[in-house]
Amino acid sequence: MTTTPTVRKLSYSRAINEALAEELARDERVFIMGQDVGAFGGAFGVTRGLHARFGGERVIDTPISEMFLVGGGVGAAITGLRPVVEMQYADFLWNAGDEIVGKMSKWRYMHGGLFTVPMVLRLPEGAAGGAGPEHSTCPEAALLAAAGSYIVIPSTPYDAKGLLKSAIRDDNPVAYFEHKGMYGLKGEVPEEEYTIPLGQADLKRVGDDVSIITWGRMVHRALEAAETAAADGISVEVLDLRCLRPLDVAAIVATVEKTGRVIISHEAGKTGGGGGEIAAIIAEECITSLEAPVRRICGIETPVPQSTHLEQYVVPTAEDLGAAITDIARY
Amino acid sequence: MLTDELKIEIYRMMYLAQTWEQRLLRLLDDGLVSGFYHAGRGHEALEVASMVALRDDDYLLYDHRGCAHMLAKRMSMVSLFGDFLGNDKGSTKGLGAGIVHIADPDHGVLGQSGTLGGGHVLAAGVGLSIKLRKTDQVVVNFFGDGAANRGTFHEGANVAGAWKLPVIYIVQNNGWAISTPQSQVTAIESFAERAAGYGMAGVSIDGMDPFLVYETMAEAVERARGGGGPTLLEGRVVRFRGHYEGDPGTYRSKEELAAGKDLDPVVRTRLRLLEDGLRTEEELDRLQHDVDAEIEAALEEALTGTVPGRERLSEGLYV
Repeated sequence: MTTTPTVRKLSYSRAINEALAEELARDERVFIMGQDVGAFGGAFGVTRGLHARFGGERVIDTPISEMFLVGGGVGAAITGLRPVVEMQYADFLWNAGDEIVGKMSKWRYMHGGLFTVPMVLRLPEGAAGGAGPEHSTCPEAALLAAAGSYIVIPSTPYDAKGLLKSAIRDDNPVAYFEHKGMYGLKGEVPEEEYTIPLGQADLKRVGDDVSIITWGRMVHRALEAAETAAADGISVEVLDLRCLRPLDVAAIVATVEKTGRVIISHEAGKTGGGGGEIAAIIAEECITSLEAPVRRICGIETPVPQSTHLEQYVVPTAEDLGAAITDIARY
Repeated sequence: MLTDELKIEIYRMMYLAQTWEQRLLRLLDDGLVSGFYHAGRGHEALEVASMVALRDDDYLLYDHRGCAHMLAKRMSMVSLFGDFLGNDKGSTKGLGAGIVHIADPDHGVLGQSGTLGGGHVLAAGVGLSIKLRKTDQVVVNFFGDGAANRGTFHEGANVAGAWKLPVIYIVQNNGWAISTPQSQVTAIESFAERAAGYGMAGVSIDGMDPFLVYETMAEAVERARGGGGPTLLEGRVVRFRGHYEGDPGTYRSKEELAAGKDLDPVVRTRLRLLEDGLRTEEELDRLQHDVDAEIEAALEEALTGTVPGRERLSEGLYV
């Protein structure tokens, strides 16, 4: 009798932790710094156990100093180390705006390519648990204008681990957005080592009638909506971009040419949340393949309220997507 | 220890920095380089003598005030001219550098934050890197009295002090943040007073005296290499020219400027070397003549460079 090997399941949080542990063990130039990342294990427990295993010189607690966290990371990166910096919340990227846009993203270019800036900025994002207007946003699209940095937004434990390992090994700076609402999400993560190349979108579901182009936590709501739509006879394709830079334009064009009906969905507000850029690329590259106007199903454009009751209305639901699927399929 | 040979070397490099800048300003007059140049005339003693106290593998984050610190850190003059000319002889291979963003990793010249004070936090990160890599290098971060007031200083200085990082913060206090006098925007007279708040050594000196700068810097470097932590070194200096070329300078009285120019570090150091009998007039004339020739040769080579085409724009953004 043969048994099928079962792939073990890990949470999104543990998958990130495992990627960090493996890269710390693999390369002595890698170190972690951030607020409460040491023995405490991070505000969300993501770095738990790493301080005990690797010590206080590899996993460093810092003061509340976002400008130092990022600018200091750049200083370490241009002098031979590979820092992984944890911002306690993605929203705090504004506290280090110049350090991210002006230093992390531009140092190499503006100094004639004489340096590399191999650093990763981990940015816990998203509305989850009533963290309030300043601790709940998904600001990844803000970095679209920061040429020089890559933007990674994993949606599953498998992707989270494989993409983080690639990000740490990459010689370019990477902003890595991990959704707080997914830390407990479990998924298959093989025991064996693997990496996922940056800049490759992933078809999370194959379909023929409608494409949902999305990333981050919205991938799961898109999959849920696709499942519901299937019962109604509508075949939905879900393309998880996984990275906004490098952006997999070929994958976007391929799905648009296949279905001709496109919904773009992200948790950030519709204006400036990144979907407009995807729609513009579709207009430039393959507008004649469209059978219906592009629809955007995105977060509403208010600050995220502190109340968890109201917070749930900010992020689009599978039902919102389902209505859009029905609508666009009939167009 | 400040040997006679080092004194001569400091003088030679100050004279070189001054003359190099004069030559650059002639290129500016000829329309060959942009006016975004912030002349360093008057700051030579602080920038040169502090760098002479460093090793080749120590790091420099320079500021925009002239190029004396970069020259003293052995940045190639051909590269420097090339950067100003925006051609492929420059360290940035034609990106054009005004005064910012020249770099030379082989001599520890890490570059500059174009936003003033951006280097405060980078320097702390470099200091952390040195500590983690367990070398005995040091990093020097230059800035003016204007950029001393950036919030980045607080964040960088705080960790440098807390973790005893080998960082030397050098504030070139010329009293003027473009047109704003220090007294109008700070309650203290000396920025060195701030050092205590970060648990670091603070010292304020006459930055127009190169030998004092060297001795003070040597102490700071020794402290940093030995794990004694950071230093905030304030050098009181005089900016002889405008903030930038074309600055009308209406905010500063003629008397104040004239008094400052009496402290010219290049002129006074030459006199000291003569008075102390370290060199004769003829010897110093020959030294200066050799430096002049060195500068002209570098410029000649830099002028053979080519200004790159549009394709240069997309080079070097990603690895």
